[in-house]
Amino acid sequence: MPGYYDIDDILMEEEPISVVFQVSANGVGLLDPGAERNSVEKGAKVDLPFWLAHGLLSLEQAVSINVPPCFTQKTRKEIQADAACVDLRIRCPYFYELGCKIVPLVNDRSIGLFLRYAFTSRYKEILSKSHSSSMMTVPKFVPRLTKEEAQVFESARDSMTAFKKWRAGGVRLQKASILGRKRKTKLPDGPSAP
Amino acid sequence: MYGRRASQLLKEVDSCEAGQLVPFNSDVFDQVIRECNEHNTQFQSLIRKMVEQNLDIETTRNDDHYGAAVHHLSLLRNKRCLMAYMYNRAEVIQSFRWKIGPVLPHEIQEKLHFSEKEYFKNHSAAIKSYMSEMDIDLTVDMVPPKDPYIQVRVLEDIGEVSLGDHSISLTKNSLHFLRRTDTEQFISQFWISDMELVRKHNQADSKQEW
Repeated sequence: MPGYYDIDDILMEEEPISVVFQVSANGVGLLDPGAERNSVEKGAKVDLPFWLAHGLLSLEQAVSINVPPCFTQKTRKEIQADAACVDLRIRCPYFYELGCKIVPLVNDRSIGLFLRYAFTSRYKEILSKSHSSSMMTVPKFVPRLTKEEAQVFESARDSMTAFKKWRAGGVRLQKASILGRKRKTKLPDGPSAP
Repeated sequence: MYGRRASQLLKEVDSCEAGQLVPFNSDVFDQVIRECNEHNTQFQSLIRKMVEQNLDIETTRNDDHYGAAVHHLSLLRNKRCLMAYMYNRAEVIQSFRWKIGPVLPHEIQEKLHFSEKEYFKNHSAAIKSYMSEMDIDLTVDMVPPKDPYIQVRVLEDIGEVSLGDHSISLTKNSLHFLRRTDTEQFISQFWISDMELVRKHNQADSKQEW
């Protein structure tokens, strides 16, 4: 359960969701750009941020939620074709988090399975790339990752760096520090040493 | 759209590197507070309208009620965004006390809101009173030292400094062999540098040149 102050959770809830009003509401004309009076009519179709859609649905049953485009059949087919190549960030940077929150609100149990399939098949690619790619450059596929995946990628890369550092001889081990000192004396030998 | 501005504030926080701080955005912050007041007036007027029609505001579900619900939710949302903005900044400001010390450099001071400066001052005072009560300086040796002594190079003229039982003159570019605990506060403020670090840095440079 994300905390009240969690920035990622707050930003995720800003994602627009298309809803249909089941009631009409006064004094909120701003929500519906096509409204003539300062109100939203029953049956109006508007985009609301997730937090508002969720609030109106769970407290008042005032709206019905349409499944966001990133969980529709089209995206599913693309993911099935080649999961690692799909640009999920452009579709929704909080793809998995939003998916998890959408599932209880709509009548579509298959979203859960779909999310799991997408994550596991992309995870493999992320892990192997994070271990093999060079530390200096950002691989081409990173901009395609969602926020969560980018974090996985970064931490995999960090752990790989830490592992390499440890294998090369950590300063904490006495023997290794002696080896390090020997290497230092070799340094003036020139380019052949490393 | 309701709550859009408030989320912009958080996007600012989110886009900067972890542990860093962006300048306090008082313009947008005040705008969000004005937005909150606007929601409040709208909410009150819708509720008043229902009361004037002699409706029970707890059970009636009419157009005014749903409008009021939207304003109520927006108010809560804006509040959450503002709270998260302050809270996450406060966390970073607290960490400054441990990383930099009790005096913040000018460029960081500029980024803080007045209340945040007060917060930092009070936080430092609380830590200081705890440390003097316990008679231990918690801010030194955040990384366990290998050697109690350290060779340092002075980067800026500091002048006469008394360290423990003797005093020493720290002039620019001079080298000293000092107790690590005495030097930590100067190192964290970039007045002197740890020779070991400098040496490692130079090594890395020379390797790249090859």
